[in-house]
Amino acid sequence: MKTKFLQAYEQAPWRKQLQWIGVFLLILVSLAVIAGIYLSISGQAAATGRRVQNLEMQVESLKLEINDLSTQLAEISSARALNERLKGTDMVTLDPAQALYVEVPGYLPEEKIALAPPPSPEKASAVELLPEFTASLWDWLRSYTWKPAPTAEATPEVLP
Amino acid sequence: MKEQPWVRFWLVCVALSVVAGLVGLRVVNIQHIPESAEILADSVAYQGVTKMVYPERGNIYDSKGRLLAGNETVYEVGLDLAAIQQPETIANAAANLLGMDYLQVLNYAKTEPGEGGVYYINLGNFVENDKVKPLIDLNNQYETMKVPSGTVRPSLSGLTWVPYNKRSYPEKDLASNILGFYSFLDRTDGIGYFGVEETYDQLLAGTPVEVYSAFDPQKITTVEEVPPGASLILTIDREIQAMTEQKLDEALEWSGAESGTILVYNPEDGGIIAMATTPRLDPNEYWNYSDLFPNPTPFNQAVSETYEPGSVFKVLTMAAALDAGAVTPETVFTDTGQIMVGGAYIYNWNSGAWGDVNMTECLQHSLNVCLSWIATQVGPEKFYSYLRAFGLDRNTGIDLGSENHWPLKVPGDNQWYEADLATNSFGQGISVTPIQMAVAIGSIANEGKMMAPHVVKAMIIDGKQYDIDPVVVATPIKTETAATLTEMLKNSLEQESSNALVEGYSVAGKTGTAEIPTQLGYTSSVTNTSFVGWGPTDDPKFLVYIWLEKPTISIWGSEVAAPVFADLVKNLVVLMDIPPDEVRMNAGRSDGTTAWSE
Repeated sequence: MKTKFLQAYEQAPWRKQLQWIGVFLLILVSLAVIAGIYLSISGQAAATGRRVQNLEMQVESLKLEINDLSTQLAEISSARALNERLKGTDMVTLDPAQALYVEVPGYLPEEKIALAPPPSPEKASAVELLPEFTASLWDWLRSYTWKPAPTAEATPEVLP
Repeated sequence: MKEQPWVRFWLVCVALSVVAGLVGLRVVNIQHIPESAEILADSVAYQGVTKMVYPERGNIYDSKGRLLAGNETVYEVGLDLAAIQQPETIANAAANLLGMDYLQVLNYAKTEPGEGGVYYINLGNFVENDKVKPLIDLNNQYETMKVPSGTVRPSLSGLTWVPYNKRSYPEKDLASNILGFYSFLDRTDGIGYFGVEETYDQLLAGTPVEVYSAFDPQKITTVEEVPPGASLILTIDREIQAMTEQKLDEALEWSGAESGTILVYNPEDGGIIAMATTPRLDPNEYWNYSDLFPNPTPFNQAVSETYEPGSVFKVLTMAAALDAGAVTPETVFTDTGQIMVGGAYIYNWNSGAWGDVNMTECLQHSLNVCLSWIATQVGPEKFYSYLRAFGLDRNTGIDLGSENHWPLKVPGDNQWYEADLATNSFGQGISVTPIQMAVAIGSIANEGKMMAPHVVKAMIIDGKQYDIDPVVVATPIKTETAATLTEMLKNSLEQESSNALVEGYSVAGKTGTAEIPTQLGYTSSVTNTSFVGWGPTDDPKFLVYIWLEKPTISIWGSEVAAPVFADLVKNLVVLMDIPPDEVRMNAGRSDGTTAWSE
C-alpha cells in the first residue's frame, strides 16, 4: 500500500530528468556568469594597470622635461647671458652715489626664500592605488555580501 | 533501455570529472617534482624586472633661488638588434642626424641578435636633446607616413633613445670653486669633488632604490616613489658672486698679481655671500681640472691654501691685547724703531721710528715694533690662547670640501721660539687660510661672537625645506672689546685717508703686506697683499677679505688691496640694498626704526 502510495505521487522520470538538467544548466549558467564577470573585471583591471604603467612612464618623462626646461631657463637667465644681452642696451651699472633710497615705513625686506614648504608634524599620506585595482573578485563579493553588524559601542549616543 | 540516457549523462559527467581530476593532480604533482624549483626560478624572469633606480641629483640654488646646478636631459642611443627591420634606414638616420659613421652603424645594425651573446649595441651616451629631437621627429614622420601599396614603409624600429639626467651648471664657471663638480660621465658611480658637491655628495645623490615592475598588468602594485636627492639653497648671492669675480679678475689684471681671493662674509650669521678665487673651472667640462689646476694649485684658495697674512693679523693681536686689558686705545707706546724679542730685532716696515704713538696710531701706521711690544704685554700664554679662541689652530668647519689649515706653533712646541711671539703678532711666521681670517675677524664685527662659517642656508628634503640656523662657535672677545677695536680701525682708516674708504659708508679695516718666505728666509722681493674690512660699522652687514698674491704694480697692501676693497664695496652696498649711513640714520630717526633693519 505504502509503495503504491509513493508510486502514485512520484514524479515521472522525464520530469526528474528535466529537473536535473535544469539544475545542471542553472549551475552552468551561474558559473558562466561568474566567469564572465571575472573576465570583464580582470580585463578592466589589466587595461587600467597598463594605463597606470603608461602614466608612470609619462610622469618620469615629464620630470625629465621639467628638469631640462628649468636648466635651460637658468642658462638663458644666467649672469653671463644677462650681461651679454645688456651689452646691446644703454643700461649701465648703478653708482652708489646715484642711488635713491626711499624709506618705506613698516616695510621689511624678505630675508628668507622658500622654495618648498616647511616640514610639518603631520605625515603626508602616500599615494596608493585604490583597493578596486588590487582586490580579487572574492574580496569584492565579500565586501558587498558580508558586513559586520554594528556593535553597541558603535551606536551613536543620542543626547537630549 | 529506458535508463540509457541517464547512464550516458553520468558517464559524461564522470569522464569530465576524471579528466579535470587528472589535470588537478598533475598541477599538484608538478609542484613537487625535482625540477619544480628550477621551473619556478625560470618563471621569475618572465614575471617582471627588477632595476636599480638612481634618484635625480638634487639641485643647488643661490640665496635668491636661482639655479646654480641642476640636471638636463641627454640620451643613450643604441640598437635593439632583435627589433631591427631596416639596417640601411637606421644607418642613414644615425649618420645624417647624429653625425655617426654610416658604415659602422650599418655594420652594427646587421649583426645577428645573440651573435656572441650581443642583443644590444650602445651607439652613444650623453647625446644631446638637440640631436635626438630631429630623430624623434623623423620617427614620427615615418610612422604616420602614407605609403602606396606595395611600397615598404621606412622604419627606425630597433634604434632606441633612452633619456636620462646629466648634471648641468647653467652659470658655467660662476661660483665653481664653491660648487665643486660632479663626475657625471660615470653614470652609476659618479661622485662630487670639491665644494658643496663633495661635502653634500650623499645628500645630493639620494638613495638608489631597487624597483620591481611586473609584466602582468594585473600584478601592478603601487610603484615605489624614488625621492630625488636633497636640494641645497646656498648663502651665495649670484649677482654679488658675479660682481666679486669680475672685480677679482679686474684686480688681477690691473695689479699683475699671480692669483687672488676675495671673500664676502656675513659676520652676523656666518654665511658666505660670495667667494671668488682663481683659477675657475667650468664644471660642465670638469675633465679639464688637471690642466687648470696643476699640482699643487688648490681648487679653492680661500679654504685650502695657507699663507702668511702680514699686517691684517694685527687686528687679532690688538683684539687680544684690548680684551686681556694689556692696553687701551689711549695707551702710549714710544716707538724707537726697533725692539728685541727673544734675541731677535724687530723693525718697522719703513725701518723708521715713530716716537710716541697711541694704539690707534699703531694700527694706522701698521707698526711692527708697537705690535711686538703689545704681544709681550699680553704674554705668550694668553696671546696663543686668544689665537686658539679665534680658531687659528684648526679648520673652521666650513661646509666646503678640501679645507685645510697650518698647525699653530705655540709655546712648548719644538719649533716655537720666543721671537715667534713678536713676528706672529704682525702676521709673520704664522700661516692661515683666508676663511680662517675672515671668520676670526668676523667676531670683531659681530660683537665678539664668532659664527660657524657656512655656504648652505637651507636644504629641501622630500619636498620640505629645512632652514639651517646660524651657530655661534665661540666668543673669543668681549662685546666692548669688539666695539672699541671697530671704532679704532674705522678711525685709523679715516685718519690716514685710506684708499679703502667708501664715500657715504663707515667702514673699519686693516691693510696687510707680507713678505713671502723662501727656503733661505724672507729674501723674496714679492709680497702677499691683503685687506680686511667690514661695514657699516654700527651694524655690520658684510666683511670683505682680499688677498692678492705677488702683485707687480706695487708691493703694498694699502696700494693694491685697499682700492680693490673700496671698488668692490661701492658695488656691494647697491646689490645688498644698504643705503648710505646718512640715509639710514635719518630713516631711523623719523619713526624709531629703519626700513632696512631686521
